[in-house]
Amino acid sequence: MISGKLFERIESLRLENVTKKYGENFAVRNLNLEIKGGELLILIGKSGSGKTTVLRMMNRLIEPDSGSISINGIDIRKFDPIRLRRNTGYVIQNIGLLPHLRVSGNIGLIPKLEGWKEEKIQERIQDLLNFVSLPPQVFTDRYPHELSGGQQQRVGLARAMVMSPPLFLMDEPFGALDSLLRAQLQDEFYRIKKELGRTIVFVTHDINEAFRLGDRIAIIDNSELVQVGTPQELIFSPSSNLVAEIVDSKRKYRHIDALKVKDLAQPLDKRYILDSGLSAASVLDHMSAEGLEIALVFDSPENSGRVGLTDVMKAVSSGKSLDEALKPLPLFSPETPLLEALLRLKTGGGSIGLVLENDKPGGILFSDRILQNLV
Amino acid sequence: MKGDKLTAWSFNEIFAEIQRVWTSQLLSQRTLEHLYMFAIALFFSFLAGVLIGVLTYRNPRFADPIFNSLNIVETIPDIALLVLLLPVFGIGKTPTIVASILYSILPIARNTYTGLSNVPGEHIEIAEALGLTRREILFKIRFPLSLPLIAGGIRIAVVFTMGVVTLGGLIAAGGLGAALQNGIQLYDMGTILVTGIWIGILAVLLDGAAGLIEHILQVRYGK
Amino acid sequence: MILTAELLQATLEHLVLTYTALTAGILVTIPLIFLSLYSARLASMIMRFASLVQAVPSFAVVAFIVPLIGIGFMPAVLAIMLRVLLPTIKNTYIGLFNVDSTLIEASKGIGLTDFQILKHIRLPNAYPAIFAGIKFAAILANSIAVLTALIGGGGLGPIIFEGLTNFNTVKILTGVLPVIGIALFLDFSFSRIEQRLTPEYLRK
Ligand SMILES: Nc1ncnc2c1ncn2[C@@H]1O[C@H](COP(=O)(O)OP(=O)(O)OP(=O)(O)O)[C@@H](O)[C@H]1O
Ligand SMILES: [Mg+2]
Repeated sequence: MISGKLFERIESLRLENVTKKYGENFAVRNLNLEIKGGELLILIGKSGSGKTTVLRMMNRLIEPDSGSISINGIDIRKFDPIRLRRNTGYVIQNIGLLPHLRVSGNIGLIPKLEGWKEEKIQERIQDLLNFVSLPPQVFTDRYPHELSGGQQQRVGLARAMVMSPPLFLMDEPFGALDSLLRAQLQDEFYRIKKELGRTIVFVTHDINEAFRLGDRIAIIDNSELVQVGTPQELIFSPSSNLVAEIVDSKRKYRHIDALKVKDLAQPLDKRYILDSGLSAASVLDHMSAEGLEIALVFDSPENSGRVGLTDVMKAVSSGKSLDEALKPLPLFSPETPLLEALLRLKTGGGSIGLVLENDKPGGILFSDRILQNLV
Repeated sequence: MKGDKLTAWSFNEIFAEIQRVWTSQLLSQRTLEHLYMFAIALFFSFLAGVLIGVLTYRNPRFADPIFNSLNIVETIPDIALLVLLLPVFGIGKTPTIVASILYSILPIARNTYTGLSNVPGEHIEIAEALGLTRREILFKIRFPLSLPLIAGGIRIAVVFTMGVVTLGGLIAAGGLGAALQNGIQLYDMGTILVTGIWIGILAVLLDGAAGLIEHILQVRYGK
Repeated sequence: MILTAELLQATLEHLVLTYTALTAGILVTIPLIFLSLYSARLASMIMRFASLVQAVPSFAVVAFIVPLIGIGFMPAVLAIMLRVLLPTIKNTYIGLFNVDSTLIEASKGIGLTDFQILKHIRLPNAYPAIFAGIKFAAILANSIAVLTALIGGGGLGPIIFEGLTNFNTVKILTGVLPVIGIALFLDFSFSRIEQRLTPEYLRK
């Protein structure tokens, strides 16, 4: 047995002055980067800029020429590389399922080498397949070439998760997929990411993907780190023209004046809308059953509000009524200019608004969605 | 009916002729002898071939000298190899089996070596990233992925071994080659035809079986 | 050596037998190239048949000739030729049809006729494989030429078999060593020609 857990949780993953050369050429040059525990950090840059190289150094597939990489303050050179890799989930650029193993064999490979009991392996495989939305009874015994690209990618993800690693390294995991499938998997991955709550380093060269998934984004160009920050930071204060160009802030924002609420509202999802007068307890049941973080109450424009899951929980435990937990809910007409709507959302302290058509709920406006859609 | 001319035979005559040859040439026993030598030779070619394949993969600097020598063995006509072994092993089954093995090692060893060395880098990369050790990569990734190619080598070896074992009839090894030689020496067309066709059928069947295994492996791995 | 003149004679005979059969085999293969032009299906059937029969031991093929056309030099040539045909046909086929299909599509796209595709795309691609087949066939022909002594083909075979029946090791070696010499010579010379003929871009 090679692994035991090296660490339960990543507190920090730090690269200091890391340099890697191939011959005379720098693949990575003097890189300093700190990844915080639990965050999803995006590495983005042009082809050949050194993203994969950075990732491969993190699980010692290659060693830096100089500089150091440490996890929770311990230099990773102190870890056995095999053990380090079994504590790291790696999803590769071109999926990389092993063609001679069935889905179960691919996912169960490391557990088997680790000497897990057969039933435990099978159970884990079933759970993971369910987790990535592949019905186990259909997919367990298939060979990789009997799967579609998207299905292969999910299996690759499940395989990376099998040892419950605290750290994931993902190298353009959706790069091989067509754009529709990619969007769908990104959405799923967004959900998974929250449930996992793990530290993830994610390589992409698709800026939309970066904004959609990343907590922070590190822009690499020509083997060097150019800027690292949240999407907002990159958009509003790009450190160079290059960054501005990559986040493409100028072009997209030119149009914002012209946009109206209806342009970016989401279609109404009925699950979010509650009648007033429900008990806090039944609302809590509903929200947990539907997996909602937030819900809206709407009877009439005068009688409306929003409520978060934690507010409802508090209300239930302290025996308050639902009305007392309600917060104001901004209401918009489809024709409201987007800038005005954003301003009202911001001053109201919320991130969600309801769009009314003829005084009836017709759509929902999420401020973070707006940002994502804009960039 | 010991015909020295090929004429039109009726179905009954053909059947009677097959029966005559089968009993007079002891073809049941000859077939068993034949398959016995075949199985032993193929088994040891397989062991030695895979072993050499793995060793040359682990020590690539030996690959060239070893395969070049085996290539020379391969260039020597099988019948010549067989008689060359006579001074050492005498006549009979032993030199036949040894010659078969010498002849059949190369395709298996070379295909094993090629298979192990040429597993696509992406598979190796992902195995490394998953945290497999070098040894685990060899046994869990490289070896299974080479199976279709190794099976292809075995298929070639099946044909080689069948050929050499048949030649064994010329150096008193018994087997179906002996019946064939009897037929030629007695100028007995029936014996030549029946034995020849029977050998042909066996050879094609064994080759087909090996080919089927190769094919199944290829399909399974999505090639 | 006791039988110098006899040995020389036998070796010559052996070479004649080998090369005659080899040439005949190659000459029979050539029509296949043109056949493949007109019917890929027929070519594929011939190929399947060839690879099926390739499994049959040489000894059986040689013996089989006797009931068909008797014994002597010509039957020997025919036996060798039949056996030698298989690798040349197989390799020709593999070479001609293992061309990247997108390349063929592209060639059709720019307006090449089937014959032009054969001449400019398929044949150059098939060249190394065809030649490898011929080299293999030559070595095989030399080997079977020994066996055809059993059906009166002459050459070095009779010396070997005589030695075998008399347990005369010297005699066996007298016959076998030239056979091995010829085999190594064929391997060497054909490898050299192969290197010469391989187009620049295909050389390792
Ligand atoms: N094994 C190697 N040998 C030589 N050069 C290499 C090697 N691996 C990477 N490089 C070079 O290092 C540079 C960075 O490569 P890397 O794979 O990290 O780029 P990347 O950002 O992941 O690109 P992509 O988006 O195309 O995957 C490239 O110029 C590449 O050619
Ligand atoms: Mg890359």
